[in-house]
Amino acid sequence: MTDNILDNIDMKQLGKLLEQARKQKGMTQEDVAKLIEVSTTTMIAIEKGDRPFQPAELIILARTYRKSVSDFVRQRPVIKPFDIQLAGISHNNEQAEAEIKPCIFQLEELCQNHLELEQIMQSSLPRYYPPEYTVSGMPIETTAEAIANQERQRLGLGDSPIGLFRDILEMSVGLRIFYISMPEKYAEIYGYNEELGGCIGINVTHPEELRRWSLAYGYLHFLIHRHQSVCDLVNIREQYETLPKSEQLAETFAKYFFMPTSSLLKQFNGRCQANQGGKFTQTDLFSLAHYYGVSVIAMTLRLEEMQLLPAGTWDNLKERGFRIRQTQQDLHLKQLLERNDLNPIHYQHLAIEALNQGLITEGQFAKFFQVDRLEARHIAELLREYSSEMDEQAGNLDLRQNSNERAVYAI
Amino acid sequence: MQFKSSHLLIDTCCLINLCASGELLHILQVISISVKTNIVQEVKRELQKIEHLEEFESAVEQGLLLIVDFASDTEINTFITYAMEIDDGEAATGAIAISRGWAMATDDKKATKFLSQQAPSLQIVSTPEIIKYWSETANIDLFKLSNILQEIRVKARYSPSKNHFLKVGGKW
Repeated sequence: MTDNILDNIDMKQLGKLLEQARKQKGMTQEDVAKLIEVSTTTMIAIEKGDRPFQPAELIILARTYRKSVSDFVRQRPVIKPFDIQLAGISHNNEQAEAEIKPCIFQLEELCQNHLELEQIMQSSLPRYYPPEYTVSGMPIETTAEAIANQERQRLGLGDSPIGLFRDILEMSVGLRIFYISMPEKYAEIYGYNEELGGCIGINVTHPEELRRWSLAYGYLHFLIHRHQSVCDLVNIREQYETLPKSEQLAETFAKYFFMPTSSLLKQFNGRCQANQGGKFTQTDLFSLAHYYGVSVIAMTLRLEEMQLLPAGTWDNLKERGFRIRQTQQDLHLKQLLERNDLNPIHYQHLAIEALNQGLITEGQFAKFFQVDRLEARHIAELLREYSSEMDEQAGNLDLRQNSNERAVYAI
Repeated sequence: MQFKSSHLLIDTCCLINLCASGELLHILQVISISVKTNIVQEVKRELQKIEHLEEFESAVEQGLLLIVDFASDTEINTFITYAMEIDDGEAATGAIAISRGWAMATDDKKATKFLSQQAPSLQIVSTPEIIKYWSETANIDLFKLSNILQEIRVKARYSPSKNHFLKVGGKW
């Protein structure tokens, strides 16, 4: 008689994965029990890892969940699910949870993939984490501005506009940032655990200015309450006073981080001086917003707050029915250019090198990018333009002049 | 190239390439004179997710590609063992091919290396070898062949690895 191959697998872990896959599919233990012709009690025991089961049953379950058997049996790093709190939601909590859960699952899976790639390639994501900022009991405006200024200093950004914000957070901080599709009202998911560090999911369906703003939210969560995972909604101005303190701080931080007072004041004055009669026109407003990579509303409100524009300017503009996208097009302001790929740069590089070196299959590569094989080949083609295209031996060459000087680099 | 067995199991990556050639049905007709062509359930499911592979559906309907599934506990256990290393399509194709002594077709670097280690006697053929076999058997002229290779390169974004023995001077 053939031995049961599943006897060699960690049944507790397999049970957890099966439970997770069933929930993602929205099925009950009873539904699934019927499929493999066992009782519900047996199915519960299988998911707890208390009862061995047959390989053929695993194949049926994988096919039902539209997952690969490989997803259940290959050695993958185990990650603790994020315990995400929904920020600023006081009612319809259950409905909101049901809406956002698939996105949280997706973020967790992508983070797990990233760790798996790091293990395969033996190359972890470098972390340049600052210590957590202490904010309790401090006034919001002052605290937010101070953190924004310190972080700008630390990241070497001076007070210039911030381009390629996502890349900065990925490369200069070491955050894992994924752009995933979420229902419109959700802006960002921030998650943290010891194995992964800081992870951020951004709603890819939003315009770039909003995605950048949401990234700043995620970054602030990382800076002030790193270990607390949270999901943010798109906040609207009228709701500011009702938001939790941490959300108010995030909103205020984003404002100072993208539009530092000294720099904005200089730009504003420069534009007024250049215009006849010292005017500040609608064109100036749009170009400033574009220059700092923020929305027109964010720029208008910031200028109102700095008393550079009269209070109520935004409301007046709105009442006059001006159209933001149309005006941007008329002014030939190009769309902000940021990467909106699903995965972080580090993830993409690891995946293409692993494929080139024959450490993962094409099917696995496609799964890492959550696309079909043809699209995966397209992605691979694009990434190969930037990758070493080397085999395993050449890809592992240490290019430093003298690899014995390792200690010097480590300092 | 000669097929060393009665059946050939074709993997996802090869089938995508053969579909891109626009000649899948003819290629399968020509090959089937020497060897019966099959795919596993896992490959079928994966191909069904990809758009514009109409020729694949026709090949299944016309019986040029037979769908096979696991027939014994040994095949299932081998599949699961392989799935710990490679993807389901390659794992199932390899498990069934090795168990039944069939040949398999794949272009995947990792799958080829892994399965050759598992069964050194397993015959693994690639897209370029299948195209070469078909073009020689069916007397395909060079102009047409060149167009077909171009179609595969463009539509399936496939080009053999730089070490492939059918690649000469960077071209195939």
